[in-house]
Amino acid sequence: MEFIRNFPFFSILLSLGSGVLTSIMNRKVARFWNTFVLLAVTVMSAVLFVYMLGVGEPYTFMMGHFPAPWGNEIRAGVLEAGMALFFCIVMLLSMKGGEEHIDREIEDTKANLYYIMINLLLSSLLALIYTNDLFTAYVFVEINTISACGLIMIRQSGRTIEAATRYMIMSSLGSGLLLMGLCVLYDITGHLLMSNIKQSIAYVYTQGIYNIPLVASIGMICVGLAIKSALYPFHTWLPDAYGYSTVSSAAILSSLVSKGYIFLLIKIFFRVVGFDIIVDSKIVNILFVFGLLGMIMGSVNAIMENDIRRMVAFSSVAQIGYIYMGLGLGTTFGIVASIFHVLSHASTKSLLFVAAAGLTDASGGSKRFEDLTGSGYRNPMAGIAFTMGACSMVGIPLFSGFISKLLFAEAAVQNSLSKMLPTLICLAISTVLNAIYFMKTVIRLYTPKSRNVKKTEAGEAAIVSFREHPLYNFTLILMIALNVLLGCCSQPIADWIISGINMFG
Amino acid sequence: MGGNLLANYGEAVAMILFGIGFSNLLLQKNLIKKIIGLNIMDTATYLFLAEKGYIAGRAAPIVVDNVTSVEAYINPVPSGLVLTGIVVSVSVTALMLSLTIRLYRRYHTLDMDEISTMLKKEDQ
Amino acid sequence: MNYMILLPVVLPVIVGFALLFLHEGVFRDRRGLLKVTGVSFAVSAALALYVISGAAGDRLILFRLVDDIPVYFAVDDLGRLFAGVVVAVFLLAGFFSFVYMSHEKNEKRYYSFYLITFGVLMGLCFAGNLVTLYLFYEFMTLASMPLVIHNGSKEAVMAALKYLFYSFCGAYMALFGIYFLYRYAIVFENPGDALNGTHYYEIAHMMGFVPGGSLDMAAVVESGNATLCLVAVFLMLVGFGVKAGCFPLQAWLPTAHPVAPAPASAFLSGIIVKGGILAIIRTVYYCVGVDFLRGTWVQTVWCILAVITLLMGSSLAFKEKILKKRLAYSTVSNLSYILLGLSMMNAAAFTGSLLHVVFHALIKSGLFLFAGALIFGTGRVKVKEFAGLGKKMPVLFWSYTICSLGLIGIPPTSGVISKWYLAEGCLESGIAGLSWIGPVALLASALLTAGYLLPLAVNGFLKAPLDEEALDKYREPAPCMLVPVVVLAAATLLLGVFPTPLMEFVGGIAAALK
Repeated sequence: MEFIRNFPFFSILLSLGSGVLTSIMNRKVARFWNTFVLLAVTVMSAVLFVYMLGVGEPYTFMMGHFPAPWGNEIRAGVLEAGMALFFCIVMLLSMKGGEEHIDREIEDTKANLYYIMINLLLSSLLALIYTNDLFTAYVFVEINTISACGLIMIRQSGRTIEAATRYMIMSSLGSGLLLMGLCVLYDITGHLLMSNIKQSIAYVYTQGIYNIPLVASIGMICVGLAIKSALYPFHTWLPDAYGYSTVSSAAILSSLVSKGYIFLLIKIFFRVVGFDIIVDSKIVNILFVFGLLGMIMGSVNAIMENDIRRMVAFSSVAQIGYIYMGLGLGTTFGIVASIFHVLSHASTKSLLFVAAAGLTDASGGSKRFEDLTGSGYRNPMAGIAFTMGACSMVGIPLFSGFISKLLFAEAAVQNSLSKMLPTLICLAISTVLNAIYFMKTVIRLYTPKSRNVKKTEAGEAAIVSFREHPLYNFTLILMIALNVLLGCCSQPIADWIISGINMFG
Repeated sequence: MGGNLLANYGEAVAMILFGIGFSNLLLQKNLIKKIIGLNIMDTATYLFLAEKGYIAGRAAPIVVDNVTSVEAYINPVPSGLVLTGIVVSVSVTALMLSLTIRLYRRYHTLDMDEISTMLKKEDQ
Repeated sequence: MNYMILLPVVLPVIVGFALLFLHEGVFRDRRGLLKVTGVSFAVSAALALYVISGAAGDRLILFRLVDDIPVYFAVDDLGRLFAGVVVAVFLLAGFFSFVYMSHEKNEKRYYSFYLITFGVLMGLCFAGNLVTLYLFYEFMTLASMPLVIHNGSKEAVMAALKYLFYSFCGAYMALFGIYFLYRYAIVFENPGDALNGTHYYEIAHMMGFVPGGSLDMAAVVESGNATLCLVAVFLMLVGFGVKAGCFPLQAWLPTAHPVAPAPASAFLSGIIVKGGILAIIRTVYYCVGVDFLRGTWVQTVWCILAVITLLMGSSLAFKEKILKKRLAYSTVSNLSYILLGLSMMNAAAFTGSLLHVVFHALIKSGLFLFAGALIFGTGRVKVKEFAGLGKKMPVLFWSYTICSLGLIGIPPTSGVISKWYLAEGCLESGIAGLSWIGPVALLASALLTAGYLLPLAVNGFLKAPLDEEALDKYREPAPCMLVPVVVLAAATLLLGVFPTPLMEFVGGIAAALK
């Protein structure tokens, strides 16, 4: 069984290596290889996850020949393995769901570049999940950013390039802060490995000499990662990036890339700084306030949007607000709720993006609401999938969104009054706002189109039959299943998250 | 406080530079100026690391004359971090520059706001 | 485990979805479709009756949503009462729609959502804890929305949107309350009470329904959050009150109910709104407990809201010219009779409310079906256009007259009984001012009811028709449409003459609450 412990390393290396390999492949081979890599990593993560559940103890894996505190380390616990598994599944589903669009929208010569980016992204996500070394984390944060930028601009248009530029600017601000924070932290503690930093910080904090720089560095790290994960008001790049890139990119960006940073932040909370110190330093309160703002403002922006993809993108802003609100509650329950919401949002948002793509296909490629009227009839599967996703976002019971809201509320009522009331009120307001724009869209999808159909640029709206796109429809079914699974069997998942957080300890 | 600042003037300069770079990256409209800001910001970090990594009177961590006392050498890790950081920042800068070139070819301007307004016009 | 309880919930939903997705061609013609739907209506109703009879057992924990919140079903007397009413109206309105829907498009879709709504309502009636109730409450909104939107006109879409927004707003206000109350749910440790030897009650925090309340109010008071708890309960009242058309969030009801096809309006106005009532009863009487609320500002404000709605609904109905809208406003005012009774928090008023739930469901669906039959037969919508038609359709108009008398509360029809209890409950309640304002409002509203319902009957029989020559075309509607209206009218009369069994049953429920 010792062999299984190599799996995190294998999966990072496999995806990183195949990124390089893909550059000499043509489209078909690259696609095949990419699917293979994703599947292989999924299987490895699944095996590791089951193994970790059995073992019940985290382990560290020495990279190279130097033991801690000098060498580089990978660390895997049950939460890391589970996250890796989940990220792989969502990525695989998003890739498969958008495959036709990738074929259609990306030039032949650039197709393998796309798969390179996906492989790099996967490797950096895995590394962010598994690494036990802060500087490695920084390097992979950058790799993540660069490959995400590639994903945005692979579909060449003014909008995507502009979005990519905005994304790069915001991300550079974030990574600059992150790097500076790490350097100061390194300066204070003299370590780069998370476990060692934590010991030093615990010591330094009790001494009380370096508290101001310590809090400043933690603050810089938090703000840096918050900027990178598009917390309101740092979200300006997001709607364009998600709205105009190819479907798979949008799905992966919204459901995984920002979540990778959030997971890193949670890891830093628990593994680097120690949760007590984080709560004590009041930094969580800042995250809390911005999280609440994001919840409301994201939804308000989404309501005013007239483009389905951008609407879903703005809803991501709101959902990221939820996650930061959970982190900001400053309790373990809040973190559990946030992690659950990471899962729930990842599965729902990818579903929504992929379904929206099917709907726009059935409406002559237009994303505007007027043209989408009645598209639920023209592409039935996408219509159902979008409705399901919308139900989950609105928080209808039995879908994953309800459970995460429930967990947030549960976490909130255990808090003091000053945090409980704003949380519950914002939760209620934001849910109603969610309901407004998602239900408005669903009704539009199922409103029969009036006789004088406006011809769109790409031609007449076409009926998309179920049989023509077996892969697309199959993917949608799997995504719905994943969502309902999260909504119905949430208890084991919540238990798993709690045990994972305990393993962080 | 003042004494500390004077003793650590290198770090203080690094922080000031970081601030300058950060605000340039955030506030400048011109893309090239933004990129310059990015580079100032990154370089400030390296300055900070280099400054922290050097202890006056110590040698590079290469064993010469069988002196193995820890006191004799500096920590090599910060220098390694600076190198890694430079690699990362070079690639990010390259990417940013290539994006800028693309935008310039398309819109013949380097002003982000102008590009945004043009994009809005394109939509209508 | 008594999985049989699930049958009337799951089966209609499955059949409904199957109908929705089956291709039109599967049923060779309209008759084929009607046969299939007819059989599934009958089977669903039979299954529901089977569960109501209690033969299916009375408790079922389906699965756990989170930690200790299960999806939990429990069949108690209150659930039986509501489920029984639902089944009756469901069958009659369904029967009615077989003819009525022949002139509407998308019949298949209508039947499928009608079935789904029925299944969901069964779930609502048999829900055993607050979270399960909330689950089905949300589903009820979603499933009934296609009924409102059915004809797809712009007006219908706007009405459906309005319906959805109000409902969701309400549902989330309620959810807010549920979140808050959740931590005060009592940990039940009462294995002796468990039936079938299993320890269902040993579940912490499940917010199950227990007569008299299942929250640990001592803990609330201890934690110093009593005021906040009252706010939460109030929010739940207002939130669930949206479905029951309670002021200030009642505006959707007169918009949404009339645009639906007539049998759907009957179902919406007679039954769906009672979902809100059921949710309020479950919250106040079975979760929070009346002892906590009695005498607080929540009770007072609730009473005032109910009285305002009551008078407002009646007066708006009085002014309205379009028949279906008039009936919808009348629903608003009648629901607030029920809410007023519930807010009094004593046995007499509670009995009156439950009786009025039953009577109003039957009468209002009868009235809407009557309106549907008239519109189907004549194509007219305004009240004054129906003058003189009574001579051509005597049975239909007599049924209408009986139903109207029932709603006004004139003996020997059923309405008088519930109103008697309501008035008695108000007088007993001893709330300063409201104990006499309540009965006065009831009386005023009864007069207004007479004012807006009776002219149609009087003019129908006595006044000259608008156009003599057109009159010859009209005759009694097809038996399929006539029979449900007559049955409902007969029920109004019968329950007024022989109310004892029902009153005993309801009295039993009320007694258990003490």
